[in-house]
Amino acid sequence: MVYITSWDDFVEKSVQLFRADPEKTRYGMKYRHCDGKLVLKVTDDRECIKFKTDQAQDAKKMEKLNNIFFTLMARGPEGNIVSRDYFTNQLIYPMQMSPFIYLFLVNRDV
Amino acid sequence: MVVQVRLQPDPFLNELTNMFERTTEKGSVWVTLKHSSDKSKVQRNKMKTCGEKIEYRCLVRATDGKKTISTLVGPKDHQRFQASYATILKARMTALRKRERKDKRKAADSDKKEDSKIRSTASKTTN
Repeated sequence: MVYITSWDDFVEKSVQLFRADPEKTRYGMKYRHCDGKLVLKVTDDRECIKFKTDQAQDAKKMEKLNNIFFTLMARGPEGNIVSRDYFTNQLIYPMQMSPFIYLFLVNRDV
Repeated sequence: MVVQVRLQPDPFLNELTNMFERTTEKGSVWVTLKHSSDKSKVQRNKMKTCGEKIEYRCLVRATDGKKTISTLVGPKDHQRFQASYATILKARMTALRKRERKDKRKAADSDKKEDSKIRSTASKTTN
């Protein structure tokens, strides 16, 4: 188990894990209100990566990762899926594009 | 014994909100997302050999350590679900720290102001 300190690395590695084995990989989050701590975890039971934070701004980033995983997991990892967020009407990007373009899109403040 | 309750997406979100409320004093909430067909491996293999198409959805599980709930979110309803889920998280995850840098800067600024005030009053008294 490894705690990853860089958010971008965490996003990239977590999505790589999922794409390598979509049936086995799960994405979990643990929130502890009394300590104000948030831990994200992605594992396929062979590899496990984690990211922990106490910062509210990281929760915003997590929202984007949530959107990515909901889209990938509900629609399947293959489909070409650029969809729109139901409320905000923002574009939700799939992982079909190159990781560089993708990371650019994820990190962009929309 | 772990009892897992399968709910429809909306009741799931309501119960998730309750879980967040119950764990404000102590405890944690876990939420897990998984790409799932909700079928056993044996069933899946059977379907594969018969050439049937296996439908996958997003299995969402949540627990506070005592109670476990779950729901399945499909391609048609995941956008609405993730929007509501994000709203709940925003409303409940309020114990996280706001940007520290700004706070420090503000504190430093106010310190300086006080310093300069003291200095100015000090210089006035000397004059």
